[in-house]
Amino acid sequence: YSIQPMDSFFLLLVLPLYFCTSLGQSYPGRPKIIRCRSLEKETFSCWWKPGSDGGLPTNYTLLYSKDSEEKIYECPDYRTSGPNSCYFDKNHTNPWTTYNITVMARNEIGCNSSDPQYVDVTSIVQPDAPMNLSLETKTSASIMHLWAKWSPPPLADVSSNSHVYHYELRLKPEEKEEWETIPVGVQTRYKVNRLQAGVKYVVQVRCMLDLGEWSEWSSKRRIQIPDGKSPPEKPTIIKCRSPEKETFTCWWKPGSDGGLSTNYTLLYSKEGEEQVYECPDYRNAGPNSCYFDKKHTSFWTIYNITVRATNEMGSNISDPHYVDVTYIVQPDPPVNVTLELKKSINRKPYLVLTWFPPPLADVRSGWLTLEYELRLKPEEGEEWETIFVGQQTQYKMFSLNPGKKYIVQIHCKPDHHGSWSEWSSEEYIQIPTDFRVKDMVVWIVVGVLSSLICLIMSWTMVLKGYRMIAFILPPVPGPKIKGIDTHLLETGKSEELLSALGCHGFPPTSDCEELLIEYLEVEDSEDQQLMPSHDNGHPSKNAKIIPKETDSDSGRGSCDSPSLLSEKCRESRALPSTLQTQNVRDVQEDKGGKRSWETQCIASEQKIVLFNDESTKLSTWPTAQLPDNQPPMFAYHNPVDAHKITLSTTNVHVARVLVGNEEKHQSQYPIIETCHDDMEKQRGMENLYSKTDQTTVQVKQNRPNDKPPFLNPKLMDYVEVHKVRQDAEPAVLLKHKENSRKTEKYTVPGTSKEYTKVSTVVDHNILVLMPDSRIQHTSVSQEPAMETSQNLQQSQAEKNMSYCLTLPSKCKRENNGSEYMDPSSFMPSFK
Amino acid sequence: PRRGRPCSRASAGLALLWLLVCAPGDAGCRLLTVADLFDRVIRHSGRIHSLSTALYEKRFPPRDNELGKPARKCHTSGMLTPNGKEYAQKIPREELTHLILKLLQAWKEPLSHFNQHIEHHQELPDDSLSKAKQISNMVHELKTGVEKVTEKMQSMGIISNSLNGMASSEATGLSISNEANMMSDSDFIHCFRRDSNKVQSYLKILKCRIMPENSC
Repeated sequence: YSIQPMDSFFLLLVLPLYFCTSLGQSYPGRPKIIRCRSLEKETFSCWWKPGSDGGLPTNYTLLYSKDSEEKIYECPDYRTSGPNSCYFDKNHTNPWTTYNITVMARNEIGCNSSDPQYVDVTSIVQPDAPMNLSLETKTSASIMHLWAKWSPPPLADVSSNSHVYHYELRLKPEEKEEWETIPVGVQTRYKVNRLQAGVKYVVQVRCMLDLGEWSEWSSKRRIQIPDGKSPPEKPTIIKCRSPEKETFTCWWKPGSDGGLSTNYTLLYSKEGEEQVYECPDYRNAGPNSCYFDKKHTSFWTIYNITVRATNEMGSNISDPHYVDVTYIVQPDPPVNVTLELKKSINRKPYLVLTWFPPPLADVRSGWLTLEYELRLKPEEGEEWETIFVGQQTQYKMFSLNPGKKYIVQIHCKPDHHGSWSEWSSEEYIQIPTDFRVKDMVVWIVVGVLSSLICLIMSWTMVLKGYRMIAFILPPVPGPKIKGIDTHLLETGKSEELLSALGCHGFPPTSDCEELLIEYLEVEDSEDQQLMPSHDNGHPSKNAKIIPKETDSDSGRGSCDSPSLLSEKCRESRALPSTLQTQNVRDVQEDKGGKRSWETQCIASEQKIVLFNDESTKLSTWPTAQLPDNQPPMFAYHNPVDAHKITLSTTNVHVARVLVGNEEKHQSQYPIIETCHDDMEKQRGMENLYSKTDQTTVQVKQNRPNDKPPFLNPKLMDYVEVHKVRQDAEPAVLLKHKENSRKTEKYTVPGTSKEYTKVSTVVDHNILVLMPDSRIQHTSVSQEPAMETSQNLQQSQAEKNMSYCLTLPSKCKRENNGSEYMDPSSFMPSFK
Repeated sequence: PRRGRPCSRASAGLALLWLLVCAPGDAGCRLLTVADLFDRVIRHSGRIHSLSTALYEKRFPPRDNELGKPARKCHTSGMLTPNGKEYAQKIPREELTHLILKLLQAWKEPLSHFNQHIEHHQELPDDSLSKAKQISNMVHELKTGVEKVTEKMQSMGIISNSLNGMASSEATGLSISNEANMMSDSDFIHCFRRDSNKVQSYLKILKCRIMPENSC
C-alpha cells in the first residue's frame, strides 16, 4: 500500500482520544478491520471484526478520509455488504485516492477505535469466483477431450458487466494432491487434452480483473473420463409429431455414448398388440429420428415407443413414450401469405389477407381440417394483436392505422385436438396515408370555401343589412291627414299647430314630406303632480291611479323598489276595466255611429285582459340597481292596437293613462309602468315586446329635478292634441284644453300655457307639443321664436327619439343602433 | 302496427310459399340440403368431441402430447374401423355410413349406464357429471341426425339402400355394451373420446367424398 502521511491521517489517529474521553472498565474492545475489497474497481467494501462489546450494546462507526482532503466522512452504507461492513458505492469510490479508514466501537461507557487501514482501490480488486462451471467429454477422431465451460462472476450492478476477466483453470485426478494450473486467457471455456482414460478429474476455475487479485477458486466439478468400456447412457425421446395427420416422426436425444460408437434402435408396439416392431425409416427425418410412413401410421391407436442405445459395453433403453397420432398433429405453417390493400366504397383502405394451407396437409379430403389464427402489430409495436380466423383462408382487416407498417403472421392448427404450427414468415404491409390526406384536402377546401362565403355574406349584411331589412319588411305607409277639426282648436294656437304640421319646426329633412300626420295628440301636463286627466267625468280616477310624488327622489325610490312598482302595476291594471266600461258606453253614444269601433273596443277589451298577465311579469323586473342620477325610462305598453302613445313625463315614475276623450275608440290604454336603467335591460325588454304583438315604447327622458337649471320647478308641459279623422271631415282635437283647464284650476289657476313647440311627431299621427317653460311665467303669448337654445336642444333630442319610431332605420345609426333610447345619449343636451 | 301488418303478411306468405315448394320428403326442396345436414352433424360431433376432451383432460392433465399408460381395450376396438385416411377413402360410402351409425349405437347404452354410475358414486366433480349427461344426449341427437342424412342420401340415390341389414349388428352391440360397462371411468372417457373423434373424422371424409365441391 502506498501510504502518504497526511494531516488527515494524523487527525484520524488522534480522533479516538478526542471522542473517547471517559474510559470505563467495560468500554468496547478494539475492532479490527479485516479486509477491504473491490469486486470490479468501481465500488469497494470493508469488513471489520468487532472486539469485545464490554457487555453492553455497541455501535460501530466507520470513519474515513481521503488523501486529497482533510475532511472526515462516515461510512455511506452499512448494509449492502452485510453486518460489520461498509459498502462504498460508485459515488464514494475513487480509484485514484487512498482512503484512510478507521472503525470506532462505542457503547454507554466509552469507545474504542481500530488501527487505521490505508486503502488503494485499484490494489484491492478481487472479483468473485466464476460461475456455472460445466464439464463435458467429447470424442473427436477417437481422441478424448474434456471441455470446461463457465460464466463470469455475477455483479451486483448488472449494467457494468463489461469487465474483462482473465481466467485460470486447475485440474487434478481426484486422488492426487497436485493441481495442474492452466492459464486460460479471457475465454470462458477451455479444451483439455491429454487426459487419462478411466480417471475421475476435479476441475476449478478462478478469475482476475486487470491488476487486482485472483478470485477464489470456483466450486469443484468432477468428471469421469470414460475409458471406452462403459455402456451408453439412456437416450430420451423428445417428441413425436405428425405434420399432416397421415405420417409421423419421432425424435430422440442420445445420452453419452461411453466413448464408443453407439447404435440407436427405436422399437414400438401398438395398443392391443403384443408384437414389437422396429422403426421402419431412420433416415427420412434426419439423425436420431424415426419416420413412420402412411402404412405404419394408424390412428386411434396408442403407440408405445422406446429407443435403445447399444454399444460394445451394453445397451440402455429410454423411458417409454405413448403416442396417439390423432393428437400429435402439428401442421406446417400456412404458405403463400399475401397482403393486399383494397379500397372500400367509402374510399377507406382495408387489408385483405389470403393464404394457403401447408402443402402437406390434404384439407380437401376432409381428413384434416385446419383452423387459422393470425397476429399482427405495427413494426415498432411491442404487443401482437391475435385474431382467430377459423377455417377460412382469408381475412379482411378494416381498422388499421394509416401510415404504419404492419407485420403479419399466420399459423394453423387442426380443428380437433392438436398443436399450433409455427408462425409463418413475417409479412410486411405499409398502410398508405394518402387516402386520408386526400380526404383532408377535400375537407379543407370545403371549409375554406364555406367560410369565405360566410364572410362575404356577413359583410354584405353589415353594409346593406338595413336596406335588406327595408326590402324584406317595407315600411307601412301611414294614413294621410284628411282634415283638422278647427272647432276643437279654440284655445290652442292653430297656426302654430298647422305650421308644425307643415314641418316648419322640423329640421329640413326629406323625411318631413313623408311624415304624414293624421292624429295629433297633444297632452298637457302642467307639473309633476298634475297628471293628464283623461276625461271630464273621470278626474277622480286619475287621481287614484297616479301616485302623488313631488320630487325625483321619491320617483327613484319607486323605481328602485320593486314592491312599489308592482303596486303601481296593480293600479294600472285595475284601470282598464273602468275605462273599458266607460269607453263602451261612450262608443254607443257616439253620434258617428261607428259600429266597427265598438267591436274594436270589445276586441281590445279582451286584449287588455291578456295584457294584464303580461303586466304582472313586467312588474317583477328588477329595478333596484337603478343608479341615483340616471334618469329612468318608462316603457309603455299599448296592447290595444297599433296606436302609439306619446308620453312625456317630468316625474319619472308616473304612469299616465291617456284617454282620448272625444275619441272613444282610442281610449283604452292600460299602461304598465316599468323602469329600467340601461341598455341591457332594454334589450331584455325587446324580448318581452316581441311577446305582445302590438307594443310601442315611447321613452321620454327628462333629467331628474336636481339637474335641470331651467325647467325647475315646472319642467315641461305637453299638450296632447288628438286629431281625429271623422268620416270625411278633418278635425283636430286639442285634448289639452278641457283637461288642463280643470287641472289648472286645482293647481296653478293663474297660469296659462302656450304650446309653441312641437316636441315630437310620433308614428306619423301623433304630434307632441311642448310649452316653453320659461315664458310660462312671463307671458302667455310668447312667440315660439323665443325658445331658449336649451329647449331647442331638448326638442331636437326628442325629435330624434320620435324619429326613431317613425324611421327606425335611420335613427338607429344616430342613436347607437338602439331602438330604445339610452338616456345617457341625451344627457349632454341638458347640461 | 302499421309496419307490422305487411311484415307479418309477407312472412306468412313466405311460409306458405315454402310449404308449397318444400313439401316434406321433396328431394328438390332447398330448405335443408345434404351439405347443410352434413355440416350440422359434423359440428355436432365436433362439440361432442370437445366435451369429451374436456372430461378427459380433467382426468389426465395434458402433458405435451404425451399420453399416460395405454387404456384397457375399448369395447369398440373389436369393430373394424378405418385407421387412416386412405382406408377411410376406399371403404364404400354405405359401409362408412354404417360404421358411423354403429359406433354411435355402441355408445348409446354405455353412456346412459355411465351417467347412472357416476351419479351414484360421485367420483367425478359436478361439472363432469353435467358434461357426461350432455354428451349422452348429444350422442342420441347425433345418431338421429346421421340417420336423417342417411335417409336423405338414400332418397336422393347418393348411397344405396343396402344398409337395411343393420338390425343384425344391433344384437352384437348389446354384448359390446356389457363389455363397456365393465370399464373403469378413465378408460371409458378415453375410449369415448377416441370414438367421438373417429365419428367426426368419418363424417368429414364422407361429406367430402359425396360433395367434394363443398368446402373440401
